[in-house]
Amino acid sequence: MLDFLVRRGQSTIDFISSLGRAGIFFVRAVVGLSFSLKSLSSLLKQIYYVGVLSLVIIVISGLFIGMVLALQGYTILIDYGSEQAIGQMVALTLVRELGPVVAALLFAGRAGSALTAEIGLMKATEQLSSMEMMGVDPIKRVIAPRLWAGFISLPLLAAIFSAVGIFGGLLVGVDWLGVYEGSFWANMQQSVNFQEDVLNGMIKAVVFGVVCTWIAVFQGYDSVPTSEGISIATTKTVVYSSLSVLGLDFILTAVMFSSI
Amino acid sequence: MDSYITVNDLHFTRGHRSIFSGANLKIPRGKVTAIMGPSGTGKTTLLRLIGGQLKPTKGDIILDGDNVAHFNRKQLFEVRKKMGMLFQSGALFSDLSVFENVAFPLREHTKLPEDMIRDIVLMKLNAVGLRGARDLMPAELSGGMTRRVALARSIALDPDLVLYDEPFAGQDPIAMGVLVQLIRLLNDALDLTSVLVSHDIPEALSICDHAVILADGVVIGEGPPDELKQSGSPLVRQFLNGLPDGPVPFHYPANKFETDLIG
Repeated sequence: MLDFLVRRGQSTIDFISSLGRAGIFFVRAVVGLSFSLKSLSSLLKQIYYVGVLSLVIIVISGLFIGMVLALQGYTILIDYGSEQAIGQMVALTLVRELGPVVAALLFAGRAGSALTAEIGLMKATEQLSSMEMMGVDPIKRVIAPRLWAGFISLPLLAAIFSAVGIFGGLLVGVDWLGVYEGSFWANMQQSVNFQEDVLNGMIKAVVFGVVCTWIAVFQGYDSVPTSEGISIATTKTVVYSSLSVLGLDFILTAVMFSSI
Repeated sequence: MDSYITVNDLHFTRGHRSIFSGANLKIPRGKVTAIMGPSGTGKTTLLRLIGGQLKPTKGDIILDGDNVAHFNRKQLFEVRKKMGMLFQSGALFSDLSVFENVAFPLREHTKLPEDMIRDIVLMKLNAVGLRGARDLMPAELSGGMTRRVALARSIALDPDLVLYDEPFAGQDPIAMGVLVQLIRLLNDALDLTSVLVSHDIPEALSICDHAVILADGVVIGEGPPDELKQSGSPLVRQFLNGLPDGPVPFHYPANKFETDLIG
């Protein structure tokens, strides 16, 4: 019994100390990016790795999700003779919910796990230690550009996901199922409000971007520098990011849309 | 003896395990010092303590007059500009070429024009015999070449102190001979203080001016190599002669063999 209490107490202390380390790490990394040409070029390079290279998976997923939404929506809406509202349904679902959430989940799996593995491997091969020994702060040089690249990339990826999804909905709804194109766009324009829907969706994407990238870089930096340690850290990144995104999505939705 | 580093009453604990329990040693300025000892005695830990990557539980590490143990993060980054460290793995940045690896500290800490950086990098690479390999990536280098590039990088800023962590481990005799010669030559040519952690006793003793032997968390022998070879300490003798049994037992602690066999 006493052993059980000691173990629970120790794991609670470990968890709280890990939260504290993650908090200090986050602040140091966020303020660590300087406005020099060198930092800017490093940031652009990371935006390419984290954002541009995630485009393929985002575009393909967005297209298929938009197509499925239109197909499912059509089969329900046609029972009520409201199939003209399919554009509205696809756009609102994507812009408010699926765009930010699915883009964040894909981002965590594609870019987040890659960031953790890369930083973890740099730690295991003593590259971070050697940087420290050269008087260069790895948090500023390695972590900060990756963190900011994630902050910037995910909202853009979520916007692209939603846009491509709407295009997928158009392909299925209009070109395949024969919904009138004018109604598709008109209903969408009438019902999608920039501030309430698009902006709130983008705020969600920004929050998810911060959380997913923070988890990814911290797990890499805090990993045990062995192959097993990196494997555990990469798994943690995907699991923690996915759960955080889904949990935060509920909270943000409750705050943003409860009054509408 | 003019010491560049003085370690006083060093205590360091990792988890529940004590690594150092009151170690005292001096590292002379301008000399090559070899730190030796059985596995797990904290040789690499000592290098990390000197470099400020670890903080001692108790005790002082005086480096050129300043106590590293009390430095904050900013002061540590500043003092490290005067240090170079050669890691056991080389620790080259895998996404940068050989040239860019050596140029890295220069680009980070100086505002030198590009043509001067190029000249310095080529000079450093020439010193380790790898000027011709400047466009290769780290993955294309052999183990010995990796360490030579890392050595060129560690002297890029003309440091006062270079720390070598197991520079000869896993090297073939030719690569080992090259590294032995380079460490000695660079130390004398650049007027460095070199600290060398090694298991390779003949090589380390052949180039060092001063040697320190660690065991059980303290220094058990210290002095010029010739003096150490004459040491009366059984532990020093076992270590220097590579004897399988002695104060460091061959057998892991266990019950009596006969008792175990009878069950």
